[in-house]
Amino acid sequence: MRAVENYTFSAKAEERFKKLETQFPERESLVLWALHLVQEDAGYIPPSAISYVAERVGVSRSHVQGVISFYAMFHDKPMGKFHLQVCVNASCWLAGSDELEKTIENHLRIRPGETTPDGLFTYNRQGECLASCGTAPVVQVNADYHESMTPQKLETLIEQLKRNS
Amino acid sequence: MAAPLEKRIILADYGKPDSHTLSVYEAGGGYSALKKALISEKDKWTPDAIINEVKASNLRGRGGAGFPTGLKWSFVPRNTGKPTYVVCNADESEPGTFKDRVILEDLPHSIIEGMILAGLALESGQGYIYLRGEFYKGWQRVDAAIQEAYAKGYLGENILGSGKTFHLATYRGAGAYICGEETALLESLEGRRGHPRLKPPFPAVKGLYGSPTTVNNVETFAAIPHIINNGGDWFKKLGIGNEKSGGTKLFSVSGHVMKPGVYEVPMGISLIDFINETAGGIRPGKELKAVIPGGSSTPVMTRQEAMRAKLDYESMAEIGTFLGSGGMIVLDSSTDMVQLTKRLADFYAHESCGQCTPCREGSKWIADIIDRLIDGNAVEEDLTTLLSFTKNMGNGTTICPFADANVMGVVPIVEKFYDEFLYYLEKGKSGEGK
Ligand SMILES: Cc1cc2nc3c(=O)[nH]c(=O)nc-3n(C[C@H](O)[C@H](O)[C@H](O)COP(=O)(O)O)c2cc1C
Ligand code: FES
Repeated sequence: MRAVENYTFSAKAEERFKKLETQFPERESLVLWALHLVQEDAGYIPPSAISYVAERVGVSRSHVQGVISFYAMFHDKPMGKFHLQVCVNASCWLAGSDELEKTIENHLRIRPGETTPDGLFTYNRQGECLASCGTAPVVQVNADYHESMTPQKLETLIEQLKRNS
Repeated sequence: MAAPLEKRIILADYGKPDSHTLSVYEAGGGYSALKKALISEKDKWTPDAIINEVKASNLRGRGGAGFPTGLKWSFVPRNTGKPTYVVCNADESEPGTFKDRVILEDLPHSIIEGMILAGLALESGQGYIYLRGEFYKGWQRVDAAIQEAYAKGYLGENILGSGKTFHLATYRGAGAYICGEETALLESLEGRRGHPRLKPPFPAVKGLYGSPTTVNNVETFAAIPHIINNGGDWFKKLGIGNEKSGGTKLFSVSGHVMKPGVYEVPMGISLIDFINETAGGIRPGKELKAVIPGGSSTPVMTRQEAMRAKLDYESMAEIGTFLGSGGMIVLDSSTDMVQLTKRLADFYAHESCGQCTPCREGSKWIADIIDRLIDGNAVEEDLTTLLSFTKNMGNGTTICPFADANVMGVVPIVEKFYDEFLYYLEKGKSGEGK
């Protein structure tokens, strides 16, 4: 994971940012993209990245801060290595998402918004439908969707993630 | 393989191995519409001719509002001296809707071809695809497809030697339902918080970077190549209902059916046939109770209403609901409508962008009342209060239709299944619910 004090883009992020700079006629558009790149580098948006993004894009720090606070996917605090999000919207609820919430709470002993003491798992209830209702219920782990979940499958997945980390 | 009643046009290649790649798309006739418009029938396909063909198809916006696409394009002024932008709304986040995800992940080239054709029609040289941030795989697939299209000369300068230019880039949202509303999407694409803009001016005249812009849904763009290839009249007649609802449409069905999924059927077929035949029917031993037809913001239909509904814009309007995005949630006799309402009310309360007081406060009130009801703390007046203040939440009191969507999604459930809400109220009063 990228250093969070005096954050700067990794080489890969730098390369992507350079290309993005050619794709948008107004630089302000780069704010969300730059924040995505930071988050891919560091796992969250460290405080030092706020000035960095503001400077690279050419907007104020408060602009960047405002964007971070508006969008649910930008995290201004460190997250667990695995971010588990259980979709709790209508179709996932119909398909048993309540049981998945219980599975996580019992298995990892954390409540929504919390991170396990070992820093491995952060758990959240996802109120936004993830557009996976046909294969409900769904649990998103970092960028990946795990569809047609059952408590059993979720326990196995959690154990696997623990082993692989 | 197609399910009963399905007619696959947009989804023709869905399920084939590597359907997301350029070679499979081309093998199925992909980019032939573009070649026609740019090369073999280049004199015929003037910008007006493309727009007129789309008008003739009676294609209506597949993002939910159902506005005629050709007409929308005709509102975009040309020769303004400013650039014109073509924007694809791939924010798909209306609860119950998951059709665009299939196109993004498995058929991305159909979007690209549709957008290039839109670019020709509107004399635009730049397009953007705005994907919700959660669609990481979809974004990877779209991004890879764009690179393939550049490499093959379908995108970029001097496309296929025609002298035309069209560039395409992706943008990723970051978890905000409101960014599906087109002006919020544009704000977000300009790098700001996703606050909807006051209309007019409409995006057609003053959209991205203050320039003429069309924003269309993923499925809308994916239909365009077929319309140019086979003609607007052909597309219109794919619908078997009334002429104003042309073509086939993708429906994503979830909830209590045996075969949830994404299906493409002719506009105008009977809803109940779709549920029973295409989606495999209700689970055994249960009965149909209600259907949310087009995403959570469309009014719920009772079983009786669902029995006589047809899947086109006009028939749904006659029953007092909307075809919407085609995101259908089917509910059987086991469904607790109060708990269901909680899921939706919580969602809207969380996703209101907070600009307008009636929406910000109203969505919170709705969720609070439903919570009190479930916790056993509601009082008699709570339900009547809910039915009263929700009348003042949308109806032009707000910048965008989010509040209307919230009210349409929640209030009809309360009204049509009032007994269940009263049951919770009584249970609470007797101390049972606590
Ligand atoms: C609250 C709200 C959310 C919306 N979400 C979406 C969405 O996720 N995807 C979409 O295509 N349209 C969405 N729309 C509709 C868009 O504003 C717009 O009408 C649509 O993108 C136009 O494309 P079309 O004419 O091809 O349907 C939403 C509208 C509102 C009011
Ligand atoms: S309700 Fe969970 S993915 Fe749609």
